[in-house]
Amino acid sequence: MASTATVHQTKWWSGGKSPFNLEYGKLMMWYFLMSDAFTFGAFLISYGTVRFSQNFWPDPNVVFNAFPGAGHANLPLAFVSVMTFILIISSVTMVLAVHAGHNNDKKGVVKWLFWTIIGGLAFLSCQAWEWTHLLTGEHAALVNGHIELLPQTTSINPWGPLVDHSVAIDALKNSTPQVIARLVHEHDASHSLPHLLSLPKEELLGMVNTAELHVRQTGPVAFGGYFFGITGFHGFHVFSGVIINIIMLIMTQKDVFARRGHYLMIEKAGLYWHFVDLVWVFVFLCFYLI
Amino acid sequence: MSNEANLHGHTEVVTTHPVHHDEHHVHHHKETFVTKYIFSQDHKMIARQFLITGIIWAIIGGLFSVLFRLQLGYPEQSFPILETFFGRWAAGGKIVPEFYYALVTMHGTILVFFVLTAGLSGTFANLLIPFQIGARDMASPFLNMLSYWFFFLASIVMMSSLFIETGPAAGGWTMYPPLSAVRQASLGSKLGSDLWLVSMALFIVSSLLGGLNYISTILNMRTKGMSMTRMPLTMWAIFFTAVLGVLSFPVLLSGAILLLFDRNLGTSFYLSDIVVNGEILSNEGGSAILYQHLFWFLGHPEVYIILLPAMGMVSEILSVNSRKPIFGYMAMVGSLFAICILAFLVWAHHMFVTGLNPFLGAFFVLLTLLIAVPSAIKVFNWLTTLWRGNIRFTPATLFAIGFVSLFISGGLTGIFLGNSTIDIHLHDTMFVVAHFHIVMGVASFFGMFAGVYHWFPKMFARYLNNTLGYIHFWVTIIGSYLIFWPMHYQGLAGIPRRYLDKRAWASFNQFADLDKMITVVSIIVFAVQLMFVFNFFYSIFKGRKVRTQNPWKANTLEWTTPIVAGHGNWEGEIPEVHRWAYDYGKDGRDFIPQTEPIGENESKDH
Amino acid sequence: MEQQLMSPEMTFQHHTDDAEFKRRVRKTTILLSVITIFELAIGLTIYTIHKGENPSHLLVLMFKGMVCILTLAKAYYIVSVFMHLGDEIRNMIMTIVVPLMLFIWFITAFLIDGNSYKNLRNKYDSHFRESTSVEHKPAAKE
Repeated sequence: MASTATVHQTKWWSGGKSPFNLEYGKLMMWYFLMSDAFTFGAFLISYGTVRFSQNFWPDPNVVFNAFPGAGHANLPLAFVSVMTFILIISSVTMVLAVHAGHNNDKKGVVKWLFWTIIGGLAFLSCQAWEWTHLLTGEHAALVNGHIELLPQTTSINPWGPLVDHSVAIDALKNSTPQVIARLVHEHDASHSLPHLLSLPKEELLGMVNTAELHVRQTGPVAFGGYFFGITGFHGFHVFSGVIINIIMLIMTQKDVFARRGHYLMIEKAGLYWHFVDLVWVFVFLCFYLI
Repeated sequence: MSNEANLHGHTEVVTTHPVHHDEHHVHHHKETFVTKYIFSQDHKMIARQFLITGIIWAIIGGLFSVLFRLQLGYPEQSFPILETFFGRWAAGGKIVPEFYYALVTMHGTILVFFVLTAGLSGTFANLLIPFQIGARDMASPFLNMLSYWFFFLASIVMMSSLFIETGPAAGGWTMYPPLSAVRQASLGSKLGSDLWLVSMALFIVSSLLGGLNYISTILNMRTKGMSMTRMPLTMWAIFFTAVLGVLSFPVLLSGAILLLFDRNLGTSFYLSDIVVNGEILSNEGGSAILYQHLFWFLGHPEVYIILLPAMGMVSEILSVNSRKPIFGYMAMVGSLFAICILAFLVWAHHMFVTGLNPFLGAFFVLLTLLIAVPSAIKVFNWLTTLWRGNIRFTPATLFAIGFVSLFISGGLTGIFLGNSTIDIHLHDTMFVVAHFHIVMGVASFFGMFAGVYHWFPKMFARYLNNTLGYIHFWVTIIGSYLIFWPMHYQGLAGIPRRYLDKRAWASFNQFADLDKMITVVSIIVFAVQLMFVFNFFYSIFKGRKVRTQNPWKANTLEWTTPIVAGHGNWEGEIPEVHRWAYDYGKDGRDFIPQTEPIGENESKDH
Repeated sequence: MEQQLMSPEMTFQHHTDDAEFKRRVRKTTILLSVITIFELAIGLTIYTIHKGENPSHLLVLMFKGMVCILTLAKAYYIVSVFMHLGDEIRNMIMTIVVPLMLFIWFITAFLIDGNSYKNLRNKYDSHFRESTSVEHKPAAKE
């Protein structure tokens, strides 16, 4: 069978056969992925367009510098590199699953699909943590002459340019005791928050470590919209990929493909999964690296 | 062993859907009403579903244009009957502004997307692809069925938006933000716009499922001997249409999703510095121009998604009915390809006056004007195909010739508009309305009518009534020119499009009578379309029966199937193809079907 | 004829032997990892440049360009090896690669116009200019 490819070599387009030696399902999957590439492309290009139309754009190393369990340590790019490697590894396991399918090796397919699903779930969990971290974060930002503690959401961006030190000190004086108490707590957890909140504002002001006080202006809100929009859309693809893989796993277990005599479906699911990885490569580039 | 074993997609269908396998071989037996007429996976039935849904939408969209033409032609008059039907939307018998904008918006949306995209390529791609390339059905009949039903869902959502309290979307068919993004901006920007966006998302899914199917079917499932360059031009046109759709609709999807986020999640992709009713919105930093870029990245290819199938069918019909080979087959294919590529590169010519960088604009002017080259090649080839032909003036031929005429007249004004400097004067005037209605709207309708008249015998095994067909053609072509030709003058004089009432400008009053004339003609033309719809449905049941397999004496494969083709199209094996589709009047023979092997002494010209 | 049960395309044409395949996958995995680590290094370099006195914009831009190229290399390996596009027939590869060329003009035109929108607003919208530009240089870095 393997030699058929050479038999027809000269007449690929003459009709009566696939010009690409592919069954239609795989062809459709490829073209669907291309079309999906344009969806993601449009998102990322929109992001680029808005970014190019701004005078200031937040530095990703400042925004994404947290790691689960590491507290306030400044670890730029650390967590996202973990996420990236998770996806690359899950892509590798998928390749192995597809290869096992080629060899009609049911056990291999099950094993590697299982690890791929685990990889997908791990990635999604990482993303969930990162989203939560951003959405519940508290970052000192200058708003109308005083400091507020703002999260990163779709409509708020606390990552503008750093404020001059003197301006920050003035703003600190205008801020509410609650905000000041939190600022103190953040740098020195030895004081409990309820205790700090009970102190008068004057005393709190004296406790703030002004040398470590970094206050920023609010930044371009589109940053959050695009970040959550695009990583969310990508996450949705990962999620549906995991679902597809689970279905494939069940079908393999039930010997559907074994009866069918081929594991072409695994191959198509694989294409989709690699595409998800491929998109992440570009999301990684656009949001975290540049 | 045979062709059928060779039809891979087909084999694949068999392996993946065992049920289907049965259907192929014992067709006619297991079909119930539901599987035959509703959730049908047969390409012929799906084509009919698309066509009839499209016709219903066309009536609604056409009616809307008649309503707003009443307002434009007779702004001072009130029509009590309107109040009877539309209540507070036409209080006192006069169309209220919100209603007018809703009508204009829905007219555009319905005709561009639901009629001329789904209704046109949905119908003829489904009908003709398996027939003309020689396949049992589409690559994936199941996805094909889904494609129709997603379109149906999109239709339901859009239709329901017509009946909600605040009315449908009313920000123009392009849905530009901020108007469409800010709820408090107008009535139509409330729920209507959400429904519009959801409907469009469903529509995009439908067109994607369809398009992927069309592409893989044409590539993968051609019968033996049907090389790409032996395909009828309809197939090439539909192929490029599908490519356009698959690559450009997702961009609109992205744009629509971002717009939905702006409307519902408080993001600021398109919004910045906005004050509505004295209230300053918190949205900041977005770019409304970005939406226009995204929209037109689809919007321009969309024009060709509408036009290319019409071009393909016209090429086929002109060749068949002038009993001559198509002139310049490869040039036709090449120009389709060129149009397909250029369609992606010119979107910003819709945006010259948005503050687009003039330097960038210059490139868009250049690329836009380049489209004139393949367009001219096509026109030249159609005319030379007709030249000295033995023309049979069937209604289909007339509509095809009408298409060429409209394509020329509308195309020429495109050269005006493609120049950024002239566009500053003409942008958003009636000139633009005239241009795109002639070249894209009416011309594509003509292509569609030509297709319906030509392939009606294949679809329903009966003929449409010819006399009604001739009336339909002559009234429509004359009416179209009477409606749209004067609009050029209005536009040159500076009358803006989409204005409810122009009486406040003394200089525009000179056109008051012209506007009345346009309105009257548009009512007549609309009535004639209703006559066509009557002809269509009447002929399905009572039309003259088709007695011969090949009523037009055409070469293509669909006429080798039985008059009423069953599921699977050919009884027995799929015929093999030995020649291109255009051997008319060759070696003294009127026509030589594609299935006939090349004779010993046959001359070599193709 | 050879196609009795299955159509010819059901042959898996990329029938390389197991060892050869495993070697290729391992090689690609290592390659992808190395490129990613390299990218991360560049990202951190950009970070330190930003932190230092008088960051050189040209240098940052150069590094960003390098990351873009590395990303394209990664994409190439994923598509060609993992997705087996490299093993397909040349025509098939072309139908995928050629339409992607549209991205060139897609990206160029969008970004140029985005940039031009910024310039327009800086020129005519003083509120925009003042509220978004980083005038007070000394505090602008961390």
